Amino acid sequence: MMIETLIAVALIGALVTFLAPNRIAGKLAFAISLIPAALSLWMFTAFDGSGNALLEGSTLAFESQMEWIQLGEYTISWFVGLDGISLPLVVLTTVLTSLAIMSSWTPIDDRESQFYGLVLFIEANLIGVFVALDFFLWFIFWEAVLIPMYLLIGIWGGPRRKYAAIKFFIYTNVASLVMFGAFIALVFGLGDAVSSFALPEITAAMHDGGPGAFAGVSGTTLMSFAFVAMFLGFAVKVPVVPFHTWLPDAHVEAPTPASVLLAGVLLKMGTYALLRFNFTMFPTDVIEPFVIPIAAIAVISVIYGAMLALAQTDLKRIVAYSSVSSMGYVILGLIAFTQFGIGGATFQMVSHGLISGLMFMAVGVIYNATHTRMVTDMSGMADKMPIAVGILIAGAFGYMGLPLMSGFAAEYFIFFGAFDSTMLEYAPIFTALAMFGIVIVAGYLLFAMQRTLFGPYRLETDYEVGRAPLHDVAPMFVLLGLIIALGVAPELIFEMITDAVDPILAGGDF
Amino acid sequence: MVGAFEFAPAIALLPLAAFVVALLFGDYLPKKGAYAGILATAGSLALSLWMLVAVFGGEAYNEELYDWAIGEEITFHFGILIDPLSALMLVIVSLVALLVHVFSMGYMNDEGETGLRRYYAELGLFTFSMLAFVMADNLLMAFIFFELVGLCSYLLIGFWFRTRSAPSAAKKAFLVTRFGDYFFLLGVVAIGATFGTLSFAGDASFVDAAAGAIDAGETFHGFSAETWVTILGLLVLGGVIGKSAQFPLHTWLPDAMEGPTTVSALIHAATMVAAGVYLVARMFGFYALSPTALAIIAFVGAFTALFAATMGVVKDDIKQVLAYSTISQYGYMMLGLGVGGYVAGVFHLMNHAFFKALLFLGAGAVIILMHHEQDMWKMGGLKDKAPVTYYTFLAGALALAGIIPFSGFWSKDEILFDAIILGLEEPIFLVAYAMGLLAVFFTGFYTFRMVFLTFHGEPRTDAARDPHPLGWNVKAPLAVLGVLALVAGVANLAPVAKLTGVDIVFLEHWLDGEYGAVDGLLYSEYTATAGLETAYIAGSETITLIAAGVLALGLALGGAGLAYVLYNVPEPKAHTENLGQAREVLRSNYYQDEFQVWLATGVTLPLARAADRFDGSVIDGVVNGVSSVSLFGSGGMKRLQTGVVTNYAALIVLGFVALLVFFGVYGGWFV
Repeated sequence: MMIETLIAVALIGALVTFLAPNRIAGKLAFAISLIPAALSLWMFTAFDGSGNALLEGSTLAFESQMEWIQLGEYTISWFVGLDGISLPLVVLTTVLTSLAIMSSWTPIDDRESQFYGLVLFIEANLIGVFVALDFFLWFIFWEAVLIPMYLLIGIWGGPRRKYAAIKFFIYTNVASLVMFGAFIALVFGLGDAVSSFALPEITAAMHDGGPGAFAGVSGTTLMSFAFVAMFLGFAVKVPVVPFHTWLPDAHVEAPTPASVLLAGVLLKMGTYALLRFNFTMFPTDVIEPFVIPIAAIAVISVIYGAMLALAQTDLKRIVAYSSVSSMGYVILGLIAFTQFGIGGATFQMVSHGLISGLMFMAVGVIYNATHTRMVTDMSGMADKMPIAVGILIAGAFGYMGLPLMSGFAAEYFIFFGAFDSTMLEYAPIFTALAMFGIVIVAGYLLFAMQRTLFGPYRLETDYEVGRAPLHDVAPMFVLLGLIIALGVAPELIFEMITDAVDPILAGGDF
Repeated sequence: MVGAFEFAPAIALLPLAAFVVALLFGDYLPKKGAYAGILATAGSLALSLWMLVAVFGGEAYNEELYDWAIGEEITFHFGILIDPLSALMLVIVSLVALLVHVFSMGYMNDEGETGLRRYYAELGLFTFSMLAFVMADNLLMAFIFFELVGLCSYLLIGFWFRTRSAPSAAKKAFLVTRFGDYFFLLGVVAIGATFGTLSFAGDASFVDAAAGAIDAGETFHGFSAETWVTILGLLVLGGVIGKSAQFPLHTWLPDAMEGPTTVSALIHAATMVAAGVYLVARMFGFYALSPTALAIIAFVGAFTALFAATMGVVKDDIKQVLAYSTISQYGYMMLGLGVGGYVAGVFHLMNHAFFKALLFLGAGAVIILMHHEQDMWKMGGLKDKAPVTYYTFLAGALALAGIIPFSGFWSKDEILFDAIILGLEEPIFLVAYAMGLLAVFFTGFYTFRMVFLTFHGEPRTDAARDPHPLGWNVKAPLAVLGVLALVAGVANLAPVAKLTGVDIVFLEHWLDGEYGAVDGLLYSEYTATAGLETAYIAGSETITLIAAGVLALGLALGGAGLAYVLYNVPEPKAHTENLGQAREVLRSNYYQDEFQVWLATGVTLPLARAADRFDGSVIDGVVNGVSSVSLFGSGGMKRLQTGVVTNYAALIVLGFVALLVFFGVYGGWFV
């Protein structure tokens, strides 16, 4: 019942906050959000699962399953549980939500109760996405995340918020539809082999013969089509090039806390789903023909995303595009199909969640003080806001993959795993190309820092700039602490990650 | 008795503690954290000396201490390797760091600097990173601290962040070295993936694995083992070229003079720049497997030595002259290592650490004397007013120029000797030798041009006539280093040993494991692996030795003599107009900077902007195109978008109820 409690607290909390007066909503939501955060951290220490949630021979932690709906021949159940891949992401979600709420106290001064209610509602659904092991249940959470995020951007966003919100909603929703259709076709193709939407059952059936002919196409063709359709569906969410254009718009318009959650957790839904569905469910001989194209997409995302970041002058756009670049590494790690590759990709999901969250918060704090995010508008901010700027510098170096911070561990694992890949032909060349991202990322972040943070103080607005309040910087300190902890001791989560990744690889020679 | 090596981690951790203390409490401490740093580095020095004594007593240490990431095929760990090389380097680094801390009290505190808490914190972190790098027992750990060293350089070069130039220089330093580190990291990944280990020594070292693969005639990724080892070695070398400021990635170093002079001393003598060459020495067994890689190291080094020396002759800023001399001197070390002169290269690394720290701290003292003036043309006549600074600086200058009997002479002579005897067997190396030899002349010239312009002649400005007084904290470090610049050569008097037959090549015995050592990391083993053939003039080692030594010393004295004639006069002239067009080329540093700036702002940035335009017009254009088509067809739907949260909430609830009803009916809930 732990997982249910986790979700229920967030849901009830959302409702309570929604009804609370604006004045206390921020503090109230923060207090409520501490419960799931504490609970998930306790679950982290009490974790006793092993293996991969979708594959046989595993023990799920905090598992619970009950029948819910009988839909024709198929049983839909409330089926949740955690393995070494999902648990770190759940902790990331709960911790980041609490911190994002605290970081909203300064910028959000309108309809607070609705705002914080929606944030908690997102949290509940995000947790749901990572714990659900029934497709139907999972899909409900998956889609339900979109609505509050749409509203957060559309109501509390910047000048072009409506455009950005609708673009975000429609783009990702259409992608979900493509993915949903493909998955349902797959389930129908599996025929009698499955009698429920439980993901482990479907996975077992996929590895044990796979689907038969359905709607006039052979089982093999069906699997390939489904693989591609689902990849495309998730690719929008990640996002990879060329499906990334909703992201910078959404980020630039979104209020800081929404950006934190969007970059920190929402993007990981895409990579998490890719790992769970495309790279766990499908047998390797289905994946094989697509290895080189996917690796190419990964490399292009890394380099092209970094190049786009280089051209930006809005700090938030810089961080937004660099997310495209960082997510490219995740794809490369996944397609490498090695322990360090997939493990590193999962590690990167957590690490990037922390680091991009930190970056968006830091940029937000500067924006709160200066009312601008343009690199060209300011100079010498280090003089005015030494602590916030210090953290921003630390975060930027984390983003650049400075060793002993989590970003380095993640990227190093991915590079090593990719180079070592036997599945990916020309692995060293793909790795070398993608790795060049670490030079470009240093380029644009160092340039941006030089222009905005250093040099003589100058700000082309009339605002009086003061130091950031404690509740603005405290969440950043927590994130920085986590980033360094994971960088110094990656085994804190890498151990459980590899434990869940190994069965995927062992299934590599079905 | 507790083993000395139990305390090895503390060597690095003490400065880390100083970093934390200074960062958190620096503002409340006397001298803003300087004492914490001094205490920590003194502790590190004491422990390092203890390591040295332990190795002298025949021990060595190679232990894995902490598993960083555990994988099935490979586990990445942190460990400590204390062997003659690292023990020596630990002493050098902690000594220079200690002296820099002491000097900083005079250079920073007494000069009313603000931001001292940050300064001492970063200095502590810097020392920690470098010491941990030196102790690293594997390539990944080396890379990790190599990068942290780079971070600290960034922070310290940009210490005066309110100026325009310092942040720019800091960015350049990090970016240029990052470019080199890209290759280094690729090398680390590739070596780990190829051999399944990254350890420098021990049972499962990548060096042994590589040697085994070459013997077994294996192939990797379509290359023969030997070619692959060369590729891997060159990838790692990318990081070395970046950090040790070798051509073509040397451009960051002169700009790095924007940092406080104390930081320059630390960066040039014992930390950042030294890290590159130290890494080559650390994994010399690997390079010894590949004659091609060694030859490339030799040529990069020789070319850099000459190239940088020529630029040093036209500089006006005392720190700029020293900056180019650093690039040039590290070129010598690379040349030495590349021609198989492991001992000579390490010897020069040590001597250079002392005399370059001395020269930079001396320059710092001059800058204090001159009320923060760095232009040598505004100095002059400081000789009599600041004798301690003058004589110690002179000792450093004599060592840098390579004048007998100062330390620099012995190590540079050994490098050139190793180069010529290899060149006599394989003539191509004579080119490298010639470049190194020619650089000696330029070195002698620019070094003494600097000495004469700064200290001799008549004072040319009011500041030079009335210098600022110096405290003990400035003079004491200079005195210590001055003595070392004079006597450090005693460590390996190879020419004397060869001529007289007296066995006084201590450093060679030290590095060859005469005392404590780790298997596989011995000079004689490297020599055997590399198997380089040498020859002598007229077949006689003695003749070659004397000829090479006299030639080099003659050129150094020639350069110094020319500087004497031109600049040791009461009213010196620039004389650079005699260089004609070469003057502009040299002053512009061969347009290297322009080229790299062009690469960044002339190529990369326009490319990025083009990508951005493409992204906005084509990729996003398609997305918006698709949506406008569908919007056209669904104009009526938009009335749903009222923008009122309660409406949305109502719709959500309505949809949810509808869903429940649907499943209620079809799912059999009500049956």
